[in-house]
Amino acid sequence: MKSLLKLHTLTLLGLALAANVGLQLLLAVGQLKSWGEIDWMDVVGEGGCAALALAWLIMLLHSRPAGRVTRLLALGLACICFSWWMDLLDEFIQIPANIAWDNWLETAPMPVGLILLTFGIYHLNQEQRAINAQMHKRERLFREHRLFDNLTPLGTAEYLRRQLDSALRQAADEQRPLSLLAVDLDEFSRVNQRYGQEEGDLVLQAVAQLLVLNLRHQDLLCRLAGDRFVVLLPDTAEQQARQLAEELQTAVASLAHKTRQHGERLHLRASTAVVMAFDDDAEQLLKRLNLGLAKAKQSLPRCA
Amino acid sequence: MESPLRWYEWDTRFIAAHHQPAVLLDLALSRGIDSHALLRGSGLFYEDVASGRARVSPEQLLTLIGNTERLLGAADSSFLFGQRLLPGHYGDASLALANAGNLEQALERLSQFRALLCPLLAPRLLLDEQQLHIYWLDNGSAGRHQRFLIEAHLTAIVALCKRGSGLRLPWRFQFAYPQPRHVEQYWVHLGDALQFDRHLTLLSLPRAYLHQPWLDASATVGQVAQQASQQQIDALEGPCAFLDAFYQYLHDNIREPLNLERVALAFAMSPATLKRKLAKHGTHFQEQLDLVRTHVALYLYQARGLGNEAVARHLGFNDTTNFRRAFKRWTGVVPSGLQPLFDAP
Repeated sequence: MKSLLKLHTLTLLGLALAANVGLQLLLAVGQLKSWGEIDWMDVVGEGGCAALALAWLIMLLHSRPAGRVTRLLALGLACICFSWWMDLLDEFIQIPANIAWDNWLETAPMPVGLILLTFGIYHLNQEQRAINAQMHKRERLFREHRLFDNLTPLGTAEYLRRQLDSALRQAADEQRPLSLLAVDLDEFSRVNQRYGQEEGDLVLQAVAQLLVLNLRHQDLLCRLAGDRFVVLLPDTAEQQARQLAEELQTAVASLAHKTRQHGERLHLRASTAVVMAFDDDAEQLLKRLNLGLAKAKQSLPRCA
Repeated sequence: MESPLRWYEWDTRFIAAHHQPAVLLDLALSRGIDSHALLRGSGLFYEDVASGRARVSPEQLLTLIGNTERLLGAADSSFLFGQRLLPGHYGDASLALANAGNLEQALERLSQFRALLCPLLAPRLLLDEQQLHIYWLDNGSAGRHQRFLIEAHLTAIVALCKRGSGLRLPWRFQFAYPQPRHVEQYWVHLGDALQFDRHLTLLSLPRAYLHQPWLDASATVGQVAQQASQQQIDALEGPCAFLDAFYQYLHDNIREPLNLERVALAFAMSPATLKRKLAKHGTHFQEQLDLVRTHVALYLYQARGLGNEAVARHLGFNDTTNFRRAFKRWTGVVPSGLQPLFDAP
């Protein structure tokens, strides 16, 4: 993704301008302190706070699209940053005792910033819930962005392993069945060969979306590797898992994916396998699932 | 023996930048990686690659591989690279490979044009009565990105054969390293017959598949492309890597007493130069000699069924105790503790 900083140039410019105006105002009324008068401990403390606030602001703007939540958070952080900046400046500039507004410039932005930030975080919370709802069936109770797949909007095999570990423990504790389902596209390498790797990537993304649509609320879909997907099915016995597998197979077969270049329709098929957990750990279960899939693939007609 | 020894070295610039390096570049671009980031440290610019004139050394290609591995940061990078590696788009050599009439011919061409098709690892073919085996020689990476290279080259062979024959062939895989965390990539891209923690990374297939005709192959195109590829090979500094030639020489002369001086003479250089050259490829004389002896010993024991004494004699050891000790040093086990390597399933 391109950096989003460009969207927020105005915010950063505004902050720079305010900081400069503050500096000019203080310089206009005050006197520079001599080296001996400066309390370096305060300089490091207040300057460090201002720098940190600026770093938060930049990181935030770097990763967020424009919008209400971003605006609130950015304004809040900008106020905090400005407040610490003014705090820092009076370590260097001696202000005459009869002037009170400098104190206002220093103190007032802080509560305003904190209130804005609080509002922002409240709305961020709402926003995150909305995103969580969208992530359903692709994520379960635990997020680790390093385990996101780099092609499809799904978790990787490593994410699946961790989820499977905890799901197996939970299933054993609660004496409930747990099944795994694998979906593997047939002759996927021919898609790559014929239409190019980019088209193959698009097919995988389309299939990932399609599978998500055909799952239940509590299921978790991950991409194991290549064109192989695995679904974690909590509270599901083998019979029911088989039925789901059949449904997914039908869904893939009736997907009318069109190639990007010529709009040609691809006919896809998938093989599936299902295993139910007994006493095995995540690794054994995955291995068993994989063998089941190999068996299913063997019965395929070997097309020329 | 072959005509005068010729080879390319680890820093010889002969790989067209729009061949294997472009495969890496395309892969990185398809995953949203910036081309500048990928080329960093390789001494290569995107314009060079696109110009079609730049040449890179195996060393530079390995740098690119390192960058790809790091920037993509995904377990499937090597497999995706492997899928695109063969037959590839490397001109006549790829054409010759894509138009092979069967697996045997494809492997012959792969071996013959290995400088053009896979300049980092050299494939070695081994035929016994029942099976075909393929293992790989390192051309100078000295163990850097070794697993990435192995994964990519195995995937490349499997994908090439699947494409040629239209079938999933029953390959069996042995790996000289423990089972990695991302074993699912092996399942999907290679197959299910996997064994880890073995003495040698080895790929095996029943011989029956060698002669099954490949589809869509044009014998004439293949032959013309083969001749053109041979001319390209002849125009290179050599048809194979220095370490490849070195291995071959030791292998051919393993029954003679071998030392640095004698081998240097055969390579027409001083012992000091030979030593320097080996160091440049990240290895030394004894390491290469031990490697060849290990491979020969494994073959004699397991494929030919020879006993300790015969193997020791073949390798020029006077007494078996000494040999068994040396063998343990090379492989970590005594000969009786060997796992079967070449057995049919």
